[in-house]
Amino acid sequence: MWIADKYIDHVKEETTAHPGKSWDQMLLGFKLNKLRTKLLPKKGISKGYQKLETMMMTFVADSLARPESYVWGNIFSPCEIMECFGLNTLSIECLSCYFSGYHLEDFFIDYAQNTGIAPTLCSYHKTFVGAIDSGSVPVPQYAVTTSLSCDGNLNTFRYLEKKKGVPFTFLDVPYRDDEASVDYLAEQLKEFTAELERRFGKSFDEEKLKNVIRIENETRKELMHFFKLQSERYYPGELISHLYMMMGMHLLIGKQEFLDLIRFMIKDIENYPKFDGKKILWVHLLPFYQETLQSYFNSNRKYQIIASDIIIDSMEEMDETKPFHALAKKIIRNLYNGSYSHRADMVGKLADTLHPDAVIQFCHWGCKQSSGGSLLLKEKLNEMDIPMLILDGDGIDRRNSHDGQIKTRLEAFLEMLENGSPAETDEDAGKNSRGQITEEEQERAC
Amino acid sequence: MLGYICKYAPVEVFESMGVQMERIEPDVTNFNQAEIRMHPNICSFAKGVLEEVMSSDYEGVILTTCCDSIRRLYDVLREEFPDKFIYMLDTPRITKDAGITLYEQRIRTMIEEFEKFSGKTFDEEKFCAYLKEKEEARQYDVKDNALNIGIIGARANESIKKILAENGANVAFDLTCTGLGRKILVDEKDVLTGYARGLLSQFPCMRMEQAAGRDELIRRSAGSVDGIIYHTVQFCDNYAYEYAWLKEWLDRPLLLLETDYTRQSGGQVRTRIEAFLESLTAERKKPERKRKEDGTMYVMGIDSGSTSTNAVIMDQDRKIKAFSVVRTGAKSGVSADKVLHEVLEKAGLKREDISWIVSTGYGRVSIEFADENVTEISCHGKGAHYFNPKIRTILDIGGQDSKAIRLSESGEVKDFVMNDKCAAGTGRFLEMIARTLEVSLDELGAIALTSKEKIEITSMCSVFAESEVISLIANNKEKADIADGVCHAIANKASGLLRRVGMEPEFMMTGGVAKNPGVVRAVEEKIGSKLYICEEPEIVGAAGAAIYALEKMGA
Repeated sequence: MWIADKYIDHVKEETTAHPGKSWDQMLLGFKLNKLRTKLLPKKGISKGYQKLETMMMTFVADSLARPESYVWGNIFSPCEIMECFGLNTLSIECLSCYFSGYHLEDFFIDYAQNTGIAPTLCSYHKTFVGAIDSGSVPVPQYAVTTSLSCDGNLNTFRYLEKKKGVPFTFLDVPYRDDEASVDYLAEQLKEFTAELERRFGKSFDEEKLKNVIRIENETRKELMHFFKLQSERYYPGELISHLYMMMGMHLLIGKQEFLDLIRFMIKDIENYPKFDGKKILWVHLLPFYQETLQSYFNSNRKYQIIASDIIIDSMEEMDETKPFHALAKKIIRNLYNGSYSHRADMVGKLADTLHPDAVIQFCHWGCKQSSGGSLLLKEKLNEMDIPMLILDGDGIDRRNSHDGQIKTRLEAFLEMLENGSPAETDEDAGKNSRGQITEEEQERAC
Repeated sequence: MLGYICKYAPVEVFESMGVQMERIEPDVTNFNQAEIRMHPNICSFAKGVLEEVMSSDYEGVILTTCCDSIRRLYDVLREEFPDKFIYMLDTPRITKDAGITLYEQRIRTMIEEFEKFSGKTFDEEKFCAYLKEKEEARQYDVKDNALNIGIIGARANESIKKILAENGANVAFDLTCTGLGRKILVDEKDVLTGYARGLLSQFPCMRMEQAAGRDELIRRSAGSVDGIIYHTVQFCDNYAYEYAWLKEWLDRPLLLLETDYTRQSGGQVRTRIEAFLESLTAERKKPERKRKEDGTMYVMGIDSGSTSTNAVIMDQDRKIKAFSVVRTGAKSGVSADKVLHEVLEKAGLKREDISWIVSTGYGRVSIEFADENVTEISCHGKGAHYFNPKIRTILDIGGQDSKAIRLSESGEVKDFVMNDKCAAGTGRFLEMIARTLEVSLDELGAIALTSKEKIEITSMCSVFAESEVISLIANNKEKADIADGVCHAIANKASGLLRRVGMEPEFMMTGGVAKNPGVVRAVEEKIGSKLYICEEPEIVGAAGAAIYALEKMGA
């Protein structure tokens, strides 16, 4: 989310002084950034992650430029159904990240808190509420959210419906995984589809949805394949690359271009050297701005994030012949739904497939559903003999992430991991931690 | 005995099977178990329930999927007590037929599992008969000639009602989670379906899809009371949305009250509630005439704060005869005696010459020689109005808390907000930083004015901010710049409070921190307006208390 610093400062100043007057400038920045990622892709990361960044920047910039082309959602909303209507889904979590490209998260968060929104609420939700409530960002004509995976969803969307008049469909995801639940949710999905037909004046074609699900199944299979390769080969990316991948898997899944990208990455990764550093399985959100974590995980030959549970939070093949039931089942069996032991089992399964050296869970400020079970996951991984680190911070609001504390915890943990492996001194670790790759590798990569 | 927490729990099903049901109302002093088994940022109520269950003897607990924190509470309890009946009842958020059908089915499954666990059997006829005996509880109780208060928001424990009762206020209604009586529907043909329908059609909580219906009920209920306490629980974020929304249109005095379910915050909760009640009754209070016969009359206001204890003696013409400021020691009573002695000496008076003494501040209840006590919020309002009647908004930053108060033209408190249970943005915070920078508190403000480079302190938490300052020192940053950064951090917090209370000019700053020129400048920059600061900003509360005393005496 790099845009020229001066422009960022300018937009931030304008927005803070006159919320609502600077939208055209914000939008222009997104469009310029889209061009930038196409013409001058970020150096030092692999081609696949460069393409992914371009794809996500394009998706968001193009959608925002045409308010009638998208609905708001959360990352668990069934974007597959929207795709059948030619609509994009912009999730509020994802939009908050983009607004933070202008370093506006603190202004928006303070704005929301000053109107009475709880300071302990998730910062993604606070950023979004502040952005919309302050009038800085225009609203679309419809929205959809699920009760998965947190309480904030229903409340944020309801609040904005009352204050800004954006109507929405609420999908109640039952806790239990059984047939009754699937029927209950499938019915709601059908009603939602009918609602979209009415609102957007288009008729729904079930064949389209079946096709989307076919592509989705392929994509998930290919992604798993890619993760396996990524645990074997050094494929430079940044923290934000994994976040883009998470957004892609939730907002672009079912689109052919996204499947093509994953297939490209599978081919491309073959050109990269063998990875013999420490393989990290990341759990939950990635604080893309956090300096220490960037220095250890952005294109670093010693430590590579090989996958994250939030990217692949549902793993089963979907039955395309019963598309609504398949979507309902996917959402209900998502690793964020149900008891924490369900999530721990799924993270365990991922670990069984990918053999990480360690797991890091990032406990995002305000995320009770994820943080609340972190100690249970640690126990489970202990049984599997996989070391786990719990980091506390904030996925978006830097004021809630304390660099000194994150650094100490992380470095101690990495030292602990290194102690298991021979012939590495602390000095080496320090040098390599900046993650410099050689020119030769750079060339091969781009 | 089974424990439960939520109004959607099918309590009567178990009672009809002869099981004793107990609503878990945590009253704990610490979260020791929760700290080990859960993450600290989980809702305080859920942590409280965990403590309670771990220290009591329930044979099981019925939880509902009400919120994220309760979902994780279930996971922890399940792990901790594999042999108990820890049950998670999947409760739909949709109250239409699909929701009712699903809920009935979930309840049936739960009954089967409980039968297996306990060996007891559920009998639908018996259940129906049991339901018929139940009487609907009374929901509203508005009283004439009393201050009627309504409570809305997240579940509140009894302490709020107790404080209200002690202050003579009547709780007209309690719309929080478990405040309302249960709604029982008896449908003899489909007993369980009717029952499930009844449960789901209770006044919806914020997790329910139909919570929009809350607005109408709140609007109607609010009309019958003098003021509303909106309660939220720390780390439960759902209700703050509603508060933010109600604040825009609800035409009733509204107090936002956050508690954390422990006994530790009792003092602060009391101050807020009492100040709120005072602001509601200000206009009706009739002063008693208790004046002495011998000419001049003197009264005293005494403000026992966490950092300083201040006293003001005033005559019947509202002139300050003398004032005194002493540091509060370990015992507030001792400092109060000291300040009493000092101020009397300065005024050349004796204790008997003082007709009425009003105490205020955190230590107000421990001052034995006071005739009456009033919260510091009301007193600051009165005091500010006394020093400058144009003031509409006060920022008071004291040793352990900061508050913003909005006044009417006549100096009555219209609204106020206080910082949460956290030292960020208080005088204590400045003291900590000054110590870290190895300067005195007075110097800190002065050197901030000489700052050349802008440094931003980003941490919200005072403990983290302190370590942030330490790393700035390690990076060889100038003391003056760090001090200025800290002043701006305080100003940011303060401007948040001011905005929440409404930014009506003119502004005044009171409390010890008002003597710090660095903070004053930073706040003025942030709000884009001048602050009025009186000669001795620490005695505003005490002066206000003295005015109260004069009013009491009919002067």
